[in-house]
This record gives sequence, C-alpha cells and structure tokens, in this order.
Amino acid sequence: MLRIEEEKGPQKNFYTQKVLPQKVVIPLSQHTGSLPNLLVKVKDKVKLGEILAEPSSLISSAIHASASGEVKDIRIYNHPTLKKAKALVISAEKNSSEKFEPPYIREESQVKNMESFELISLIKASGVVGLGGAGFPTQVKLSPPKKVDTLIVNGCECEPYLTCDYRLMIEHTESILKGIEIIAKILEVNKVYIAIEDNKLEAVKRFNSKLHTKKYALPSAEVVVLKSFYPQGAEKQLIYRLTQRKVPAGGLPFDVGCVVQNVATCFSVYEAVYFNKPLIERVVTFAGSALEEPKNLLIRIGTVLEELLEREILKFKKEPKKVIFGGPMMGVALDSLDYPIIKTTCGVLFLTEEDLDLREESNCIKCGRCVDVCPMNLLPLEFVRLVKKGFWSELKEFYISDCIECGSCGFSCPAKIPLVNYIKAGKEKLKSLNKT
Amino acid sequence: MKLIVEVSPHKKADYDICWLMKQVLIGLTPVVLASIIFFRMRAVLLIISCLLGAVISEEVWMRLRKKPSSLRDYSAVITGILLALVLPPKLPLWVGFLGGVVSIILGKQVFGGLGQNIFNPALVGRAFLMAAFPVMLTSWVEPFSLDAVTKATPLALWKFSKEFTPLKDLFLGNVAGSLGETSSLAIILGGGYLIIRKIADWRAPLGMFLGMSILSGIFYLVNPLQGSILFHLFSGGALLGMFFMVTDPVTTPSSKLGRFLFGLFCGFLVIILRKFSGLPEGVMYSILIMNGFTPLINRLTKPKPLGR
Repeated sequence: MLRIEEEKGPQKNFYTQKVLPQKVVIPLSQHTGSLPNLLVKVKDKVKLGEILAEPSSLISSAIHASASGEVKDIRIYNHPTLKKAKALVISAEKNSSEKFEPPYIREESQVKNMESFELISLIKASGVVGLGGAGFPTQVKLSPPKKVDTLIVNGCECEPYLTCDYRLMIEHTESILKGIEIIAKILEVNKVYIAIEDNKLEAVKRFNSKLHTKKYALPSAEVVVLKSFYPQGAEKQLIYRLTQRKVPAGGLPFDVGCVVQNVATCFSVYEAVYFNKPLIERVVTFAGSALEEPKNLLIRIGTVLEELLEREILKFKKEPKKVIFGGPMMGVALDSLDYPIIKTTCGVLFLTEEDLDLREESNCIKCGRCVDVCPMNLLPLEFVRLVKKGFWSELKEFYISDCIECGSCGFSCPAKIPLVNYIKAGKEKLKSLNKT
Repeated sequence: MKLIVEVSPHKKADYDICWLMKQVLIGLTPVVLASIIFFRMRAVLLIISCLLGAVISEEVWMRLRKKPSSLRDYSAVITGILLALVLPPKLPLWVGFLGGVVSIILGKQVFGGLGQNIFNPALVGRAFLMAAFPVMLTSWVEPFSLDAVTKATPLALWKFSKEFTPLKDLFLGNVAGSLGETSSLAIILGGGYLIIRKIADWRAPLGMFLGMSILSGIFYLVNPLQGSILFHLFSGGALLGMFFMVTDPVTTPSSKLGRFLFGLFCGFLVIILRKFSGLPEGVMYSILIMNGFTPLINRLTKPKPLGR
C-alpha cells in the first residue's frame, strides 16, 4: 500500500461549474458489456435526454442524447479507453434548452412505495453505470445472483488530483444519501458502509450530520473514515478493509455478500429514480500544472476536450506534455485533445514536462519494493522477468491475471521499470495464446 | 502539440537506484569513519585500493562490452567500500585492489551486471582472497597501533584460548578485526539510518538477529563458555553482515517472508560455523551459502494473493 502526494489542489474547494457543449460525441461503448442497439440514424433530430441506444443483452447499458440537436454522423471516433470506437456525433442546436426538464418528479413517499423491480427498471432505463472507472451497468450490480448483506459506498477517491467525488459529496450529500437509500432497499442489505478517506473530513462531517437527522431509511449506515493511501478505493481491497472478506480470485464482490457502489453512481441512481433523468452528465476533475486553473465541471457526456479549450473554459498556462483520462496512477495517456468525455471519465489531467518522470528504465535490483506495495500480494518483479524471457506459461503460476493494474509497483520502482506495461503485455500474450 | 503516450502510472516515486545507493553510502559513512579512527592511514589506503580495483574494473568491463558506463549507479563504489570493510587492516594494498577487481568481475559482471548476480560481490571478492592468501587474510593488528602490533580477533581469542574480550571494547570497536567490523556502535548508527529511512528492509536483519540470538542463547545456557548472545552479536562481522550484507536487495529474497527467513538462517549458520567449523568466524560463508538458496526461498515463500 502506498502513500502518494495527493495533489488535490485548489480545485478541492471550488464549486462545480456547469458546462454545455456545442457538439457531443457519444460512443456506443461507455460501459463493461455488450454494445447497445442503436435506435437513431444520421440526420435524426434528437432531444436532450432521448434514448439513442438500448441495452442489447443482460450486461449492456442504454445511452442517451446529452444535447438536443441533429445526429450529424455515426462513425468511428477516438475513444479514451478503446482508442477507436463507434460513436454518434450530435451538433447541439444553438438555442437548445439548457436545462434538463424532468418528465416526472417523484416525491419521497412515492419512491418509498416503489417495488425493487420498478426501481431497477428506472435505473436501467437511465443508462446508469459504475462511475468509479469500470462502468459496470448498475442494474446488473443491483440484481446479484446471490443474496448480499453489505453495501459499500465508495467515497475514497484515492487517485491523486481527482476531486470530483469529493465535490459531489459536499454539494449533493442529501441526494447521494437518497440514492444510497434506493440501492440499500433494492439489495435488502443489513449493513451500509460509506467509506471516505481522512483527507476528505468535510465530506465525512456532512454525511454524519445528515445521517443523524434519521430522515433516511438507513438504520445500519455507518460512515467509515479510512487513513488515506493508494489504492484504497480498489474494490477488493476496500471490501477486505471493511469486512475482512476476501473476494475469491476471478470472483465478484457478491461472492462474499458485498456490493460496492461509487458515490457518483449513487447520485445518478437518485436522479434516475426521482427525475427519470438519464446519465447525460457527470462531474469531471480537470487538473494538472499545465492548466491555469484546475476545475471540477459538471459536464455533458460526449463533450470533446478541444471544445473546452477553444471556448477557454480551460486555459493552458504551459504546454502540456501528457494528457491523461483518469487519474495519474491508472489513467490513459492520449495522443490528442480530440477525445470525448465518457461516463467513466473521472478526470482529465494536463501534465507538463516537470510533472513527468522520464528517467530511463534500468536493471531490476530485486529490491522488492513492488512486492511490498502490491495490494494483491503478487510478485510484480517476477512478471517483468518472465515477460522479458517469454516464459508465458509461468506467468499463470504467478497469478498475473489477479493483477488489478493499480500502478503501485510502477510508482515505487527505483529502476523506473514500467511494470504495468510488462504486465499488460504478458496478459495480452496469454489471452492470444488461449485463443489459439 | 506533441503529447507523450505511455502506460500508467504517470506518477513515479522521486527516488531511483542512484539515490538509493547514495543513501547506502551515507549509511556506510560512520563505519568508514570508525575504521579510519582505529586504523588510520592503513584504513584510508586500503579503502582507496579496493575502490580503485572495483571502479576501474567496472569501467573497463563496460567499455570492453561497449555498454554505457555504469559508474553513475554507485554500485561499484559500494562494493569496493564494503570489500575494504571486511578485510584486515594490514593487507597489502595490491591484494585489496585485486579483491576489488574480483568482486566486480567474478562477483557481478560475469552474471550480467547489476541486479543479475547471485552472490554478494564484496563477499565473493573476500572469499577469493581468503582462498588465495589465507595467511594475509587472517593476520590482524591492534587498533591505534602505528607499528602494527599483531593481535588476534575477539572471536579467535574466544575460540582458540577461551579468552573473552570485554563487551565495551566490542561495542566501541577497540579490538582487532577487519576494517569495518570492529565498532558495533558505528555499524548500528549507519545501519539504523538505512532501516529508519526504509532504504534497507528490516526483515532480514531482524531474522539474522533472532537466528543468532536463539542459537547462541541456547549454547550459552548449556555452557557459558560458548559466549553470550551479545558477545556473538558484537564480535566479528555479524553486525556488518546484518545491516549491510543480508539487506543487499539483489542477492536476497524478494518476498517479505523470504527476507526474514534468509536472515534467520544466516543467523543460525553464523553460530553453527563459529562453533563447529575450524574457523573462528562464519558470517561470510553463511551469507554466501544463503545467497545460493535465494531462488529456492523465493519459490517456497511465494505470497498468497488476496482472495486465493
């Protein structure tokens, strides 16, 4: 486990700003699972919040128009995690109504009387996916094949720089709690943990004071303050910390009676159920020393980075050398600014040359720092050795598939070996060997 | 705008190998100073000879193989100094130089350079000298004696004439012995720095401490003439090995449990060799033997991944 300088910076204290795009690029794939079925075609007029594609299978998710306007094109576009993927390009009408007008507004009493399946279908219809990073369709997570007893709400936000979850927890504490209420009801859990790191004590305070009002049907909810370290927010590690249960290798949290939901996902669940509001926007942290001013923006899904710079919503004070979608530990470095924000984008970082460590890779001295920090208890240095030698079958014996690619090993390596790079190469090689 | 695309993580720790090695040099400083205090110019010259042997052979080797110079990683410097610290002060300088060459070439480079070697390079150098020049390697002098009065080491006095050196002298270093092995205080200061700064892992030293303590404790209870726990810890190369040899990352196991076990077995072996072998001291052989077991220990102590 690692302690990293958090660099959460001034954006931690700034209110989230709202941004409306002139163009959106909405990839069909923004979640784990199969591609949804497209319901619109080029030149169709779409309205803000209208469904564009519906789930095609059990594990799939709907996507919605995040701007009113015309579908200009459906084509392969840059994708932050898949590199290239099919996307809809929608140009927003000049005077499209800025605000999402909810078709329904449900009262608390109404929501309390709804059945679980009704709640789940609302969540599914809104295209809610896990907003912490993996983008697993939320309705699937809320219908576990086994009974679960514990809900863990993940407010750790352990990656440096990122503060979007923190701002959401500060600005929308009540809404998040209402979302948690809904999830807890669907899952019929008897314990709810809200896990927050000790560098976000203000959020802890807000949750505690709201919970004390007893307004919420969350008798078993407990805010747990965790000492901040990386990767605290990783699912398996968080479950182990809170419940001492170990998710079996290759298994999922429900195997040990747990479901983990990110705070932002809880917020989207609240919006889906109370307002029928689809997942068309999210809070994204924009930070890094190339920016004049770091910000948290409530931003429409599909907004292209370039537009934010052209419209000077973001300004560079220095030239960025690296643009990262996600946090610095697990994020993806991109080759241009022509990439859209997708549902799972927590942050975009603009790093200058001074932020980067470009020291060259040297020989492994077997110091074992990677072993000491590995949250999965693996031997990362062995992966490098075996990949270099091409001993693919041995990689399995060292459980390479268990690696969550958190980057702790690469961070702490004094020889500057890009361990995650080797691990990814090893995993890919094994996958292709399995196929043939 | 040209953007760099590489795999995560995009943030890395500040330190690198060069920095870590410099920290080890800082850790060695008190030991080097103590050796100079006790053995004066002899210490200075022997350290320089070993250093030159190590550094020159490293540079020549890399040039012959047409590879970039590796002096900047300081590992040859550390090997040279460590070698000098385990040699007797009266040793002819050319022998020290030769030891430095052997340490680097046979101890490290033939295996493929930094990170690839199986045995601790400085100890390989010493083992070679021990085999080639046994008499020179076992003639000791009294500290502070400019005319080099011959004197046996505390372990030799214990082993061959059942004579015990006062613990205070062992602790401060006012005894005969290798350059850097005499002063327990200096070694604990420098080694403690490395452990507190987390440059060296604490598990192997703890293991060695326990291994030596347990075994020497048992022997002491049976017969106090076998020497007390503190006598064994403070005499010979035990502490230097504990802080600067079993903590060498390259030649010791990489799993946490493995590091501890490595130290533990080194500790056992030291006491066994001191008691049962023909030589009074056994630290060098203990560590070299255990170096050979490192791959096996690594295999047997593979940690269990979370959820397996």
